[in-house]
Amino acid sequence: MKRVSFLVVMLAQLLLSVASAPICAYGQTGCPLPTLADLFDRVMQQSSRMHGISSDLQSQFEHYLFPSKNMLGKWKCHTHDILTPGNKQNAQNIDREQLTEVILRLLGAWGDPLSQLHQSMRQDHNKNHGRDFSHSSSNKALEMSDVMQELRDGVLKMAEKMKLQGAFSNAVAVVQPEEARHSSAFAFYKRGTLSLLDHNDLLYCLRRDSDKVKNYLRILQCSTLPGLEC
Amino acid sequence: MTLRANIMAAASSPSSSLLLLLLTSSSPWLPSLTLAYVSDWHHMTPSAPVEPHFTECISRDQVTFSCWWSPGSFHNLTDPGMLKVYYQKRDIDSPTKTEWKECPEYFHSRRECFFDRNHTVIWTPYCLQLRSRDNITYFNTDYCFTVENIVRPDPPVSLNWTCLNVSPSGLNYDVMVMWEPPPSADVSVGWMNVVYEVQYRERNSSNWETLEVQLEPQTQQTIYGLHLDKEYEVHIRCSMKAFSKFGEFSESIFIQVSEIPTKDSFSLLTLVIVLAIVAAAILIMWIVVSQQHRLMVILLPPVPVPKIKGVDPELLKKGKLDELNFILSSGDLVSGPMYSPDFYQDEPWVEFIEVDVKDSDAGEKEDIQASDTERLLGGSQPARHRVGCSNVPSFPDRECAYDLNGPAEDGTTLNCMLPGQPDDRLASLCVDSERGERLPVPSQTSGPQTWVNTDFYAQVSNVMPFGGVVLSPGQQLRTQEGAPASNEDVKEANKKSQEKNKQKEPQFQLPVLEPDTVSRTQQMIPPLYCSIPAESYQSAEPQPAAEASRSPYDSPDSPQAQHFSPVADYTVVQELDSQRGVLLDPPSLQSASSCLSQHPLKSVHALPTGYVTPDLQGVLLP
Repeated sequence: MKRVSFLVVMLAQLLLSVASAPICAYGQTGCPLPTLADLFDRVMQQSSRMHGISSDLQSQFEHYLFPSKNMLGKWKCHTHDILTPGNKQNAQNIDREQLTEVILRLLGAWGDPLSQLHQSMRQDHNKNHGRDFSHSSSNKALEMSDVMQELRDGVLKMAEKMKLQGAFSNAVAVVQPEEARHSSAFAFYKRGTLSLLDHNDLLYCLRRDSDKVKNYLRILQCSTLPGLEC
Repeated sequence: MTLRANIMAAASSPSSSLLLLLLTSSSPWLPSLTLAYVSDWHHMTPSAPVEPHFTECISRDQVTFSCWWSPGSFHNLTDPGMLKVYYQKRDIDSPTKTEWKECPEYFHSRRECFFDRNHTVIWTPYCLQLRSRDNITYFNTDYCFTVENIVRPDPPVSLNWTCLNVSPSGLNYDVMVMWEPPPSADVSVGWMNVVYEVQYRERNSSNWETLEVQLEPQTQQTIYGLHLDKEYEVHIRCSMKAFSKFGEFSESIFIQVSEIPTKDSFSLLTLVIVLAIVAAAILIMWIVVSQQHRLMVILLPPVPVPKIKGVDPELLKKGKLDELNFILSSGDLVSGPMYSPDFYQDEPWVEFIEVDVKDSDAGEKEDIQASDTERLLGGSQPARHRVGCSNVPSFPDRECAYDLNGPAEDGTTLNCMLPGQPDDRLASLCVDSERGERLPVPSQTSGPQTWVNTDFYAQVSNVMPFGGVVLSPGQQLRTQEGAPASNEDVKEANKKSQEKNKQKEPQFQLPVLEPDTVSRTQQMIPPLYCSIPAESYQSAEPQPAAEASRSPYDSPDSPQAQHFSPVADYTVVQELDSQRGVLLDPPSLQSASSCLSQHPLKSVHALPTGYVTPDLQGVLLP
């Protein structure tokens, strides 16, 4: 029953992705350049998608392995050293550039761990530890890494456009993607196979960070383009 | 295993155990399991106390949150203050060190622990614990969560509805429901992304119809297909986007739309009016179609167009001059008055231009030049297939065209040469190429034929006993007055052709028409007229000039008066010019009546239709 609902949700997400897929993402010849509002829309859609996938992954795991969803393993995530605004007041007080920077760092920090997660899940599937859920989970993990990569590129473009339009008060250079690499990401999670507990923690952290990113993007959108959507 | 664990967890409360008993009694496949966990349950204390626990933690605005607890079956802990809430916040800074702090704000009446904004951190795990007053007993269950996962937004406010439209059948209608986001949720900043779920039901039913949860936040929703005269109840609740926890439902609003009775009668009236209009339109159409011809005559009276009897009206259209020339020159018209089809059978009122077709070789302009009058008069003409002047005595060889009008004009006679005329006159009559060689050419460029025709239509003044006819030329005035409209056009064409003729060698000259030529041809036979005596010619001298003004080959500087010569009533169409002009024969000059003109009739084959009426034909023909 739950499996079916997950499949349905996955299908819905795919449909959403198709519907929201950018026609001209990178300014090919003959394509009109998207406006900032368009960029924001696409980014928001991507972040929603990402958040949905992460929620599915986590809840899927929880259901099969841990009956009580209140049980949490480690509380620490590998992105703990990225300072993020923790409440509404802090989020409103922070500058737009800093907020964009935080978003980009968060997104950049998940590139490697997600690929590790995918590999680990695939190995689990091959070992027949999991049954059906592991296969779908590994696919979702792969999809998740793709979505996150696209989102990061989209936010970069959006940041460039915002800088051009003068949305940033300080002409601070937006952090480059390469800097967002976390050296601790490799050390934080064990190389090679991750235990199921580690999977769970990673998925919990993933869900949390994707929610942060979605919220920050929403704040950024409403502060830059106060329109009908806010 | 997992099922068992679930059942164990569920069996912690007595009510759930009763439910399980009922379940096991009803379903047959659970007996083994039932035995198993019943035994387990027996291991537990029969009156196992329910520990104090947290019932729920909720955040409404993602800024603060509250937690409610329950003392469970420990009745001695129900008093406020007996239980304390401690929470643990896993900060980033201190991941390993955990401190348990007491609840910042208690609401003992509600057994609520409230965390204000200073104590609330999002995306940070919280664990709550209940302890006894003396901090000794720690109850096992830790209630752990992160704040973003416990958000249940407040319901929306200011619900309102409008009727969008009514179906054509008048039974269903669509409604748009509008509302505003809850004031506690800060949507404008973007801190909370709230989506809504709308439910509605009929007043009496107990099942709620649920519309799909919105994917994007919208503060309005359309409900389709509501029935008239039924009351509906609508309420809405909120949730965070991509989360599954909903807030409470809003207050209900009631929708009811009653019937609009006037619409039916209005539509009926319009239907009747439309039908009446359609019937009237059909009636008018029928009248128009049935009386089409009459209407056409009334509205569009027929315009006279050129119609030549015996000639297909198609040929008279623009651009078909060659065919017409061919027909006219070949003499089909003349030859077959009986045979040529009557193109105008249905238009008896049509007035015709009756063309005199020369019986000459087709396409040679010289041939066309000779007129019927020539044929009438021209007995001295050689036996060429020329107009008229062939052997004298043979009437059939002579062609003359004349119209036997009523003797309306008196005194106009066309004197034609008769066979009995002296030869010199005859000789003077007929000038053709052969003759023309002998005679001084009226002009240097005189063509082979210098005959100038008399009119097609010349009044017969007298009929000779031997069958000849004395024709009289038309009067000038009358001709001028009675000139048909086509004459004017013809004059213009004549002018044109005259100019043209001036440019190139005139194929023939009408010596009578040019004063100089006239003078030169004084000794000549006056080309037009058979027996014009010299004196009459003299008198007629100004005539040609006069006529010249109206003839195609007129010289422009012939300013002679026009009152002298009698002009024929009808002007012979000499030729159809290539420039679409009709060349008229200058009318005949008045001549002294000394010359009796016996007009030999044309041969039958050359006689154009209409020129000779049947009764006169019998008279005229020998």
